[in-house]
This record gives sequence, C-alpha cells and structure tokens, in this order.
Amino acid sequence: MKAVRVVPHDIEVWARPGESVVDALRRYGWRSPYKCRRGGCGACRAQLRAGELLYPRAVADSVLSATEQAAGACLPCRAVPLTDVVIDLGSQPLRAVLASSAPHKNPDPAEQEGP
Amino acid sequence: MAVIRLGYVHVRVTDLAEARQHYEQTLGMDTVHEENGRTYLKSWDDDDHHSVVLEEGGVGLVKFGYKVTDDGTLETIESKVSSFGASCERMSKGDNAGVGDGLRITLPSEHVLELYSEVERLGTKVGKLNPDPWPRDLRGIGVPRINHALVTTEDPALLERFFRDVLSFRPAERLVAGDEDSDLVGSWMYCGDQPHDIAFVKGANGKLHHFAYEIDDWSALLRAGDIMSMDDVPIDFGPARHGITRGGTIYFFDPSGNRNEVFAGGYRTGPDFRPITWTMDQAARGINYTHREIDQDFLRVVT
Repeated sequence: MKAVRVVPHDIEVWARPGESVVDALRRYGWRSPYKCRRGGCGACRAQLRAGELLYPRAVADSVLSATEQAAGACLPCRAVPLTDVVIDLGSQPLRAVLASSAPHKNPDPAEQEGP
Repeated sequence: MAVIRLGYVHVRVTDLAEARQHYEQTLGMDTVHEENGRTYLKSWDDDDHHSVVLEEGGVGLVKFGYKVTDDGTLETIESKVSSFGASCERMSKGDNAGVGDGLRITLPSEHVLELYSEVERLGTKVGKLNPDPWPRDLRGIGVPRINHALVTTEDPALLERFFRDVLSFRPAERLVAGDEDSDLVGSWMYCGDQPHDIAFVKGANGKLHHFAYEIDDWSALLRAGDIMSMDDVPIDFGPARHGITRGGTIYFFDPSGNRNEVFAGGYRTGPDFRPITWTMDQAARGINYTHREIDQDFLRVVT
C-alpha cells in the first residue's frame, strides 16, 4: 500500500497495488475532478509534488506529453503510485461521495463462498 | 442532391485490444475487417460495410463519413465546397475498406468529413426477407446502428453556414447566447427527418465530443446502463432526457476516453421543420432536461 496525500485539501488515503489515485480516493469516499477515468480527456489533470507514478496503461501523448510529465503534470485517473505520493489538485474541489468500484466477480459459481 | 446519414466514425484508441473488448463485447458490434492497424466494425442493423473504425495510437477523431445519394451529388458538393472557400480532395476507392470513391472535405472546424455514395453492403443481421425484429445472438448492449456525432468548433455560426449552404443540412435546434450570428453556441442539424445527424458546440477545432448509437427506447437505455455497470464503463451522465431533440440518453466513455452515447427516441423533422431556440440560461435543461444541471466539464471535455 502506498500513501496518497492530496493537497491543499490535506487528505490522505492508501492505494492498493495497481490502484489508480482516483480509484483509491473513490474507495475512501472522495470524488476528485475526473470525467472519462480512462486517461483520454485530461479533466483530472493535477500536479505531482512528491513521489513517483506509473502509467500501466497507455495514455495519449496529446493528453499528457513526456515534457508535461517531466514538469510534474499527472493524470490521477490512470496514474498508479509507485511510492508514497503527494498530489496537488490546486483549486479543484474534493467532494465526499459513496462510490462503488468494479466488484470482484467469481465467473465459476463453484468457486463462490458462503451460504 | 442529398446527404443521407452518418455512415462511419473513425477514432483513435490508445489500446486496440481494450477498445475491441468495449466495442465488441460491451456494445455488441462485430469486427468485419482488419488492416494496417485499423479495425472496422458494424452494428447488427447497419446495412453497409462498417460504421466505426478504430485505429491504435492516441485518442480522438480521425474523420467521419456521411453517405450521399448517387446522382451527381458529389460533383455538386465539390463545387459548392470551393465556392464556400473550404478545401476538399477526391478520395479513392479503398482509402477506407469497403468504401468507394468520394470526397474528403476539411471543414471550417478542421474536422475531416468524407462523402461517398458507393459502399459494400454486408447486410443487416436479420436480412431483408421476412426478417425477425432483432437477431437472437446479440452481445452486451447489442447496439443496432450508429446515429449521429457531436463535435466542437471555434466558430459555430460558420460551421452551421457550411452545413446549410454546402451540404443542405437544416438546423433543428440552436443554442444561442444572444441575437448576433456570433452568439451561436451550438447547432443540431439534420439531413433527413431525424432531430440531428450532426451537432456542434463552441470549443476547440478538430475535437470530438461524442458519437452516438440509436437504441430502441427507455427500456433499452436502462438495460444498456446495466451492461455498463457490469463492465465498469465510466458514465458521464444519464439515463436522462435531453430537452434538445427530446431523446433519452446515457453518455459514457470508451477505454481510451472517447465519449459514446446511446440515444433513444427524439422527434421527427423534415424539410418544413422550423428550428427550436434554446437560450443559455436554459442550456442545462436543454442538455439534461431531467436533472436541469450539468457539470461544466460536460461541454469542455472532448477528445
């Protein structure tokens, strides 16, 4: 688990391995600015103040170029923390929400637990 | 001379395999052809060769195609394009798999629009002889056919004039910020009797806001929403009703962030339809009549 600290809101959550910043925040009940959640629209764009992020899935260069990334820009909807990170959302709000992520599914009924 | 309808939308996707999963398994389209890193797909009730092309690398619109009648329409339009002062070139058979010769126009909004009358017919899945109303083997939402696209332009008034003067489209609904031509914020235009075949709102040139599939009705919309939840598809908004067009809608995103829509209903227009006007203070109701509130990003977020 990596710590994800959001400033200036001063919120800290823990990201599971492979979990994006947006998904970790959602799991803790925080709605940061995003639209497509797929790295294509740039609505979630923020600044990385500390730590390292990884993009396991391709992000279009037109949305986040290597130069912008080097200057600290990031896309929290696709960025997965490699270390503890500090993300600056600037004047963008964080809203309290109850959000459900994709549930874990057992495709084979025989594997299902419980009564 | 006439433009018939939106034929195809050609978009970039960051990951072709993920995109195919979405368009084939969630939406229910079939891949009909693959070449040069492009995947061509059609929906079950599309008669022509394809209606969506996916190209790996990046995100956003490469171009879109509208089908025209085969009666010298292309020549007529070609001369109108040059009188208007826009640029176009001849497009050759094979530039797009299954599509014949045509015209490739660069719109005043910098989008590339192709016009063609000849296209290979692969046929609908139910056929043309004593057909069933729908095929039994649909996947996911099972979208029947493509319907319209909405793009952004720096100058909506200029683009509206282009579609009217060159392509003989008419506005069904107009969103205005005032009485001047330059106050046009958006226009929903048709070429047949739909409420819109193309729409555009003010924004950056060359960008795609969404393209839409037509589905049957409210029940189909709700069922589409169920499939989206099962497949964890990000929803923009909906199910809701549009004030503009009166259609039912869900906006959602493909795995690259291109916005899609499933659209149901809407009224019929025709050559004598008088355009409807929406003022900016009622824009939220025009776009989402049910909730009367839209995220500011709804109009800003494009690919």
